[in-house]
Amino acid sequence: MRKLHLIWVTARMHIEVYKYPAWSDVIEIETWCQNEGRIGTRRDWILKDVATGEVIGRATSKWVMMNEDTRRLQKVSDDVKEEYLVFCPREPRLAFPEENNKSLKKISKLEDPVQYSRLGLMPRRADLDMNQHVNNVTYIGWVLESMPEEIIDTHELQTITLDYRRECQRDDVVDSLTGPELVEGSKIHGTNGSATAITREDDLDCHQFLHLLRLSSDGQEINRGRTEWRKKPT
Amino acid sequence: MVATAATSSFFPVTPSPDSSDSKKKRLGNGSINLGGIKSKTSSGNLQVKANAQAPPKINGTKVVTPPAEVCKNEDGVSFHPPRTFINQLPDWSMLLAAITTVFLAAEKQWMMLDWKPKRPDMLIDPFGIGKIVQDGLVFRQNFSIRSYEIGADQTASIETVMNHLQETALNHVGSAGLLVDGFGSTPEMCKKNLIWVVTRMQVVVDRYPTWGNVAQVDTWVSASGKNCMRRDWLVRDSKTGEVLTRASSIWVMMNKVTRRLSKMPEEVRGEIEPYFMNSEPVVAEDGRKLVKFDDSSAEFVRKGLTPRWSDLDVNQHVNNVKYIGWILESAPLPILETRELSSMTLEYRRECGRDSVLQSLTAVSDNGTDEIECQHLLRLEDGSEVMRGRTQWRPKNAKISGNVGQIPADTA
Repeated sequence: MRKLHLIWVTARMHIEVYKYPAWSDVIEIETWCQNEGRIGTRRDWILKDVATGEVIGRATSKWVMMNEDTRRLQKVSDDVKEEYLVFCPREPRLAFPEENNKSLKKISKLEDPVQYSRLGLMPRRADLDMNQHVNNVTYIGWVLESMPEEIIDTHELQTITLDYRRECQRDDVVDSLTGPELVEGSKIHGTNGSATAITREDDLDCHQFLHLLRLSSDGQEINRGRTEWRKKPT
Repeated sequence: MVATAATSSFFPVTPSPDSSDSKKKRLGNGSINLGGIKSKTSSGNLQVKANAQAPPKINGTKVVTPPAEVCKNEDGVSFHPPRTFINQLPDWSMLLAAITTVFLAAEKQWMMLDWKPKRPDMLIDPFGIGKIVQDGLVFRQNFSIRSYEIGADQTASIETVMNHLQETALNHVGSAGLLVDGFGSTPEMCKKNLIWVVTRMQVVVDRYPTWGNVAQVDTWVSASGKNCMRRDWLVRDSKTGEVLTRASSIWVMMNKVTRRLSKMPEEVRGEIEPYFMNSEPVVAEDGRKLVKFDDSSAEFVRKGLTPRWSDLDVNQHVNNVKYIGWILESAPLPILETRELSSMTLEYRRECGRDSVLQSLTAVSDNGTDEIECQHLLRLEDGSEVMRGRTQWRPKNAKISGNVGQIPADTA
């Protein structure tokens, strides 16, 4: 790949955490990669608590190949495939084997007007990786910056899905937008003349949100995301 | 969060039923606290000597790291599995039943942990939690440098180094088996609402570790004047023994209600004095005063710095490692790109919280060597000072050639 100036870039990241580990816990992470279609590769993870053996989280990610000079996506050629397939398990294996799992869910674009926002976020020096690009972990921090405080203070992140659309450079200024995700077929009832959509999940004390990160300057989308929150365990 | 770093104090090991219980509560359910086994009856004959170091816990399950601890009764005679004990003391069957239950449960826990140490040193510290060395006064822990801890120049950042210092300070205190609350105060301190706060920090980095290096961090505490405590660190490359970093910090007590500094009460001194090392500071004290300066003499100013949600600790205070990130934010780019931080002296003056808006000012001076020196000031918008600092920068080593920098995000 280096010969051909090709690099892997993250296209999608989906993480589910069932139980957050605490300081001094020991967790075991198993990870593997495999082929995904013609232009992609996938990497999966399973996280376990070493003492109890229970699965505390799962994650899956999709990567595509990009030419670092043209910045255009490229099909995974056979030579490249051969190089890394050696390291992939022979039998296809998925961290999310169940059908219709959330890692495949399409994320709708959040439209204006948006309920919550935090504008003017800028990359700090520490957010830049060795290629002077904003590290993808920083994006998660930005997405969460515009979450309403009443949820962040009482709930913990259960699921996060991020679709990466364009990269962000050190001089970019970013707006983080958040709004509740409306479940299809949810009840709508009027309150004082205005319609309020209530998600089924309200009953289960879970909250779902849609997110958008875009450039302040021209509104171009950097990534879009979806989160699910559950009440913090006491 | 000046206060969190407060847990760098070191307390006497006085295992008590209370401390065992609170640890159980904190770290898991139903764990067997081998470090603090007490006889189930009040009979004197079965005093079990607790370890000087409470065995490290793995997710609430105690792991006995050296070969299984042998417990001694009062006469110093070691006893092993209950069977022998039953033979010796057939009359105390009730008592033995209780002890047996405890041991069998412990044994079950040991069996559950199916790790096979591959190297001798793994036996001693298999999960990298750290251990007490050197007569019980020094705590040592190893850290592998992770990919996300290195910066654009392939070396660990100063924040990574500082995080290791904080982690070992907290683990030192934790491994002593003490009551750890959010501030790490001793029992006497808790009674008086006192917490530790850091007032001064000096760090000298001889070499920054790179991805894959393992840093071995040693830390200990000593007295500093009548009312303060000093915590020192020595970081070495665990493979070569080369010294990577030396650091020294001064701590004083503060009343958490009034937020005023406090003299060290005699009761607290009694608790912690036994744990002080009698040694010189690992970093010679930099006696030069950190001067105040204002906008006119500052060459670089960065305003509007605000804590992110992730910068806050459990007390809604900004962690003191973040301050360092902020002072570097306003350091001039040419210095950051061509030089590395060789030493730093920091004075902490005021805490800051979520809604604080800070300014970072930097002035550059030439101290006559090939090192560049910067003066720093971190302050709130109303001018009150949060931190003063001095940093020294030496030229970076020649860059590593080749494509090592292109570590793909997914190394397939």
